[in-house]
Amino acid sequence: MTTATKTQPMTKPLAASNFVALFRRREYGVLALLLITLFSVGAVNPAFLAAGNLRDILVAATPAIIVGCGLTFVVLMGEIDISMGASMGVLATVMGQLTSPAHAHLPVAEGIALTLALGSLIGLTNGLLVAYGRMPSIIVTLGMMTILQGVNVILMNGHWITDMPPGLRWFGLGRVIGIPVSLWIAALVVIASIILARDTPLGRRIYASGSNPSAAALTGLPVRSLKLFVFTLTGLLTAVATVVSVPLLSVIEPGVGSGFELLAVTCVVVGGTSISGGKGTIAGTLLAALLLSVVRPTLVFLKLGPSASYWERAIQGAFILAAVLLDHVARSHRRKADA
Amino acid sequence: MIQARQPNRLLSMRGALPSMQELVLIVLLLGLCGMAYHLSPDFLGPRAQIMLSTHVWELALLALPMTLIILTGGIDLSIGSTMALSAVVFGLCFKAHLPIGAGISLALLVGAVAGALNGIFVAYVKVHPLIVTLATLAAYRGVAEGISLGQPVSGFPDAFTQLSLGTVGPVPIPAVIFAVAIVIIGLVMARTPVGLWLSAIGYNETAAEFSGIAVRRIKLLLYTASGLMASMAGLLFVARRNTAKADIGTGMELAVITAVVLGGSSIFGGRGRLFGTMLGILLIHEMREFLSWQWNRDEITLVVIGVLLILSVLMDSLLSAKKR
Amino acid sequence: MTIPFLHITGLTKTYGGVHALSGVDLDIMPGGIHALMGENGAGKSTFIKCLAGVVKPDQGEIRIDGSSIVTGDIRASEAAGIVAMHQESTAFAHLDAVDNIFVGRELKRTLGFLDRAGMERETRELMDRLGETFDIKRPLQELSLAQRQMVGMARALSHKSRLLIMDEPTASLSARETEALFRVMRQLQSEGVAILYISHRLEEVFELADRVTVLRDGRHIKTCDIGDVDREGLIRLMVGRDMLVEDRPGREASDTPVVLDVDGLTLAGVFRDISFQVRAGEIVGLSGLVGAGRSELANAIFGIDRADSGTVTVDGKTLPPGSVQRAIDRGVALVPEDRQHQGLVLPLPVSSNLLLSVLGSPKLGPLRSARKEGGIVDELIRDLAVKTASASVPANTLSGGNQQKLAIGKWLAMGPRILILDEPTRGVDVGAKAEVYRVIRRLAAEGMATLIISSDLPEVLALSDRILVMRQGEIAGELSHGEATEEKILALALPLEVAAI
Repeated sequence: MTTATKTQPMTKPLAASNFVALFRRREYGVLALLLITLFSVGAVNPAFLAAGNLRDILVAATPAIIVGCGLTFVVLMGEIDISMGASMGVLATVMGQLTSPAHAHLPVAEGIALTLALGSLIGLTNGLLVAYGRMPSIIVTLGMMTILQGVNVILMNGHWITDMPPGLRWFGLGRVIGIPVSLWIAALVVIASIILARDTPLGRRIYASGSNPSAAALTGLPVRSLKLFVFTLTGLLTAVATVVSVPLLSVIEPGVGSGFELLAVTCVVVGGTSISGGKGTIAGTLLAALLLSVVRPTLVFLKLGPSASYWERAIQGAFILAAVLLDHVARSHRRKADA
Repeated sequence: MIQARQPNRLLSMRGALPSMQELVLIVLLLGLCGMAYHLSPDFLGPRAQIMLSTHVWELALLALPMTLIILTGGIDLSIGSTMALSAVVFGLCFKAHLPIGAGISLALLVGAVAGALNGIFVAYVKVHPLIVTLATLAAYRGVAEGISLGQPVSGFPDAFTQLSLGTVGPVPIPAVIFAVAIVIIGLVMARTPVGLWLSAIGYNETAAEFSGIAVRRIKLLLYTASGLMASMAGLLFVARRNTAKADIGTGMELAVITAVVLGGSSIFGGRGRLFGTMLGILLIHEMREFLSWQWNRDEITLVVIGVLLILSVLMDSLLSAKKR
Repeated sequence: MTIPFLHITGLTKTYGGVHALSGVDLDIMPGGIHALMGENGAGKSTFIKCLAGVVKPDQGEIRIDGSSIVTGDIRASEAAGIVAMHQESTAFAHLDAVDNIFVGRELKRTLGFLDRAGMERETRELMDRLGETFDIKRPLQELSLAQRQMVGMARALSHKSRLLIMDEPTASLSARETEALFRVMRQLQSEGVAILYISHRLEEVFELADRVTVLRDGRHIKTCDIGDVDREGLIRLMVGRDMLVEDRPGREASDTPVVLDVDGLTLAGVFRDISFQVRAGEIVGLSGLVGAGRSELANAIFGIDRADSGTVTVDGKTLPPGSVQRAIDRGVALVPEDRQHQGLVLPLPVSSNLLLSVLGSPKLGPLRSARKEGGIVDELIRDLAVKTASASVPANTLSGGNQQKLAIGKWLAMGPRILILDEPTRGVDVGAKAEVYRVIRRLAAEGMATLIISSDLPEVLALSDRILVMRQGEIAGELSHGEATEEKILALALPLEVAAI
């Protein structure tokens, strides 16, 4: 049986071409861009490279890094999740209400545990609908996002939370051996994710299911359970990100987390994870998160004027477009080398 | 002799009987009316309805091209940002003392170009529409924020705000604009091959290409039209609120997509109706307004809509899984 | 005398009313190389898919050492020792060789972590056994086809299989790579692994195989030792069946105008320097094996793909390459090979499918008209005798044969100048086949220039006035209606000696 002509067969290896080789591994390109940015801005304004500033940049990137790890697995399987922003809002509200003296005033540990459980539950629901309800993940997470936005306002009931207990604030402001708690936790998540991706059967099966879903099913891989896992994981990590970032705020209000899902997806896509699944790395997502987190300080430190920071979002969008264009160029390069 | 029925009853605006999905929506609407009649009959009166409906026309306008795009299996998340970009451009033109007509033209042009950029990436660079429009959602709003520096522009002349406040007889002008748009699009869908082409592309793009349908050109036009409508919606917003700011239209794309899918269009493409979409818009709008009117709590709308969205697609998914 | 360890009995598989396999019985000896031959559509691929567990047969039993195995389950087949070499469709392109070999049955260390060192070691050992030295950590899509096949071999080896199944493994390999593969196969044989090997290359079969089985039309025809048969005998076994369509004298059409003129058409790596003509009223058949480049040629003529060089001319006017719309405007019509994914939009109604190409064309104009369209649809349904409840039911409710009529009918509405049909009766039942032939003949009598790509040799022989045979991307020869026989076609279509490549 001949294959339809329109199917792209697997391609022959690329002829050595240095330019394209650089972008063959997207991670290197992102790293290069990051380093170039850091050193260029540092050259113009040395204060940019001060330890304190770099630390702030890292801390600002931690929510995207943490959730990005989970989202990378989701996209590796060929799915997507856009509910993280609304999820973060609800989780922040719940976390605040559980621990604040004006509300439930539970011990911080309990409050955090419940928050993590709730985050996992949200992810689990997403996963069930996608894997077992066989629904497209864009719709499931779109619906979930809408629901959570409404739930958030209802829960908050007009009372913004301003009195997070010190135990909670420690997660955002505290330090261990001089390094902020959030960085420790982010590092833990990243290392665990890398280990999961490269060193566990689970990780390889996730890659396989994304690379060739029908072959994966035929080989007997538990594709549905894998999907359930990655969505639940993302939900849990969203809760973790909430715990380490919200305590930095002075007030929890309904806008918390708004737009976060866009940032997370940008990190994953720019970091080299293919939206059709099977290809991508945690390292790429990490580097992309750092790159994106550098954008705003860059605009500030380059003293481009007060208007500059307004361009941050535009640059984010431009990054995604550039990333997909590069993919396209690399793809057609490969196709030409094939013949 | 086999009678060939009128092709594409499915897609014509004035079609045959409502589909199952549309019936459900109609029932829900009636239920809502019933509840309103019971609790607060004034809500159903024409005065209240007209007063409350000033902003629904923007949503309705945006839902027209979105229905067509989703019909082809695509999606456009950037419409809210395009709205904002067009509004900001218009505001800046006004601030620069350009004539209103020039401002409007430029705003519309910006919208069309924004849509065309989406279309080029989707149709020719062949990137998944989700990713492209997610990127442009950020990019366009970012540009809007950048060129406006976050500053709103207001104080537009009455001649312009009449666009929203004015009426043709008893009918508000935005409603007229919408009516014209839907009639044109509806006619094109029903009376030209376009409706069938879009459905074919959505069901089976490869077969559509093999049939000689100009798939890439059609997609480019669709996304361009979407951008153009978004800019129109943006202008209507500015006229209504007498302010042009970079943050308008946030969340619009979600409401529109929800309305389209609620209305029975399949997110995978191939199946969908303007009529269903309009029912979806109507349901979402009335629900939101009623909750606001009666209990001042329109956040419940969000929850209900999200649940409705998931339930309706879940049902659809499980039913077709059974067929397979 | 060895006894067979693998007994297959009564294997049957039907796809939509057409029998891909009908009650096939086969015994396989341990440690032998057993060749499986037959022309396109004979059922070879379906047979091995059933063995490997990729497809579940409707009936039949597979027994190893006396015990029956569960069908339709890859894991069960692999556990029983039957492993098929990876095809494109079952490989994970983004993963490396190690993962492709071990995914699903990974080696583990303490705490459940992957034993990467162990898996890499084993992979390297397997690769050494196969004589391969490429980097096992590169993703499969960066390897050459030969290397990917070696990964497939390694995977099969790592299963400690008793039967290794290979489907045309040398199809795209160079002579050197083929030799390497043969070396490995003989080595496996010496280790006691039996190999079931589909191939069209007669010379290879005679070189490697101990026994050979011929399938035809889903039925087992004969199994014997390779020494008991010769080349001509094998060909004769593969072809030769009752004529489904009556023969008619072919026309010597040199007086009608040339409609389609293909000159020097080339697409690198697919087909080379193709030149031929089709005249009005002529039916030209295009034969050849799967992979010879016929469908790709048709797609290039039609404009779906763009050829690298060469020209296509219709009625004397050159077609701009790569434009389907232009080709259609000038009168080219292609009924593609895969009617499900290329030819029809199955969820749409019968009428919509029939109108899909003609709507919006100059013939009907920009506006729709229920009356005109209804007329066209009714006429087509009547003309082609399409059996359907009505014109508004979805096309997927129709049988394969009637769907094929739709796929053809939609082009007839356009009134084309040249009609290209790619496997027009694939998956079509006997009755519908006859009707399709009737339509093709009638159109030709009315002056239509027709190009038929077909793997069904009697069909090609009966219908064509001339037959072109493609082999590995080139036109290997041309036969007139009078001189053509199945044996001659197959002889031209089969690849040349390995050494000659």
